[in-house]
Amino acid sequence: MPPSEPDDLKRLGERVDAARRKSAGPDQNAEPTPIGIAFRLGTELVSAVIVGTGLGMGIDWAFQHWAHLSTRPVGLVVMFVLGSIAGIRNVYRTSQQISAKAAPKEK
Amino acid sequence: MAMNPMEQFEVKPFLIEHPLFSIGGHPIFFTNQAFFMVVVVLAASLFLTLTVSKGRLVPTRGQSLAEISYEFVGSMINSTMGHDGLKYFPFIFTIFMFVLFSNFFGLIPYTFTITSQIAVTFALSCLVIGVMIFVGLKKHGFRFFSLFVPQAPWYLLILLVPIEVISFLTRPISLSVRLFANMLAGHTLLAVFASFVVLLGAAGGVLSVVSVAPFILIVAIFALEMLVAGLQAYVFAILTCIYLNEALHLHDHH
Repeated sequence: MPPSEPDDLKRLGERVDAARRKSAGPDQNAEPTPIGIAFRLGTELVSAVIVGTGLGMGIDWAFQHWAHLSTRPVGLVVMFVLGSIAGIRNVYRTSQQISAKAAPKEK
Repeated sequence: MAMNPMEQFEVKPFLIEHPLFSIGGHPIFFTNQAFFMVVVVLAASLFLTLTVSKGRLVPTRGQSLAEISYEFVGSMINSTMGHDGLKYFPFIFTIFMFVLFSNFFGLIPYTFTITSQIAVTFALSCLVIGVMIFVGLKKHGFRFFSLFVPQAPWYLLILLVPIEVISFLTRPISLSVRLFANMLAGHTLLAVFASFVVLLGAAGGVLSVVSVAPFILIVAIFALEMLVAGLQAYVFAILTCIYLNEALHLHDHH
């Protein structure tokens, strides 16, 4: 039946489009779960503090080792504070990214 | 039955008498972790090559799976990095498929989850950050370091530049810890509930009947772990995209 062929093709095309929309939808806007967001913010904060503390201890060690200056607590304290600030800044930036991603969907 | 839920994460060498080679007197073994890495890489390569080798117009199930993953990563790159990010497609696709396959392989009983090792995930994220620095330096030269200099008066920069540097250095750590901790926590949870089933079942009487409850819970957690396995691969890949995008287009995101 030649006349029905374009109809069949058109219907197939519509079904393919519908299926494509359905499969592309949830993947693209993979909704971050609340626990995922919490975990992400937590790691951002904690890892910055760890890096800051590690750098501070490294600086103290380097001064002791190469310059024979005993700066022991100073580097640690300063870098710990800077690391904490960086952690909070990370959290702020990440939460801004998350809300920027969520915002277009609310419109 | 293993009663220690952490036993599944132990790295055990095969052929203890025959180390592969040694570095500085320290013998390097072929471990179960290395074995499953080989398995994962082989499985991913075979899956992607075999399913698309026929190249049918109307795809088979396998072929459409491979095509979906290809298009998924392609559109992810397009939406985060724009069109010129597509030349990094092979890199991001490889990372995505490796993490995805190792996460899913870990869910098969009696296998070893290679992404539950911080050494593996940290090496992966160091690779990502290394590529990011390389791309940034190659494209922008020393202007790449303006990534660490926010727009602020000079007296604030004394404080802000170290903060930005620390915040940059946290990236490999947060990237690797996120993947590692998710996999570790999920698999530990499964093992703990599995040991509940065995303990309650062996206790006899009413307790044996109660052992159905943790079993049902295991099924639910397993379904959740399937979601986590896919989601963590996605998160790892999309953060790679975001970092590469920052190196490509400095300060565009501000």
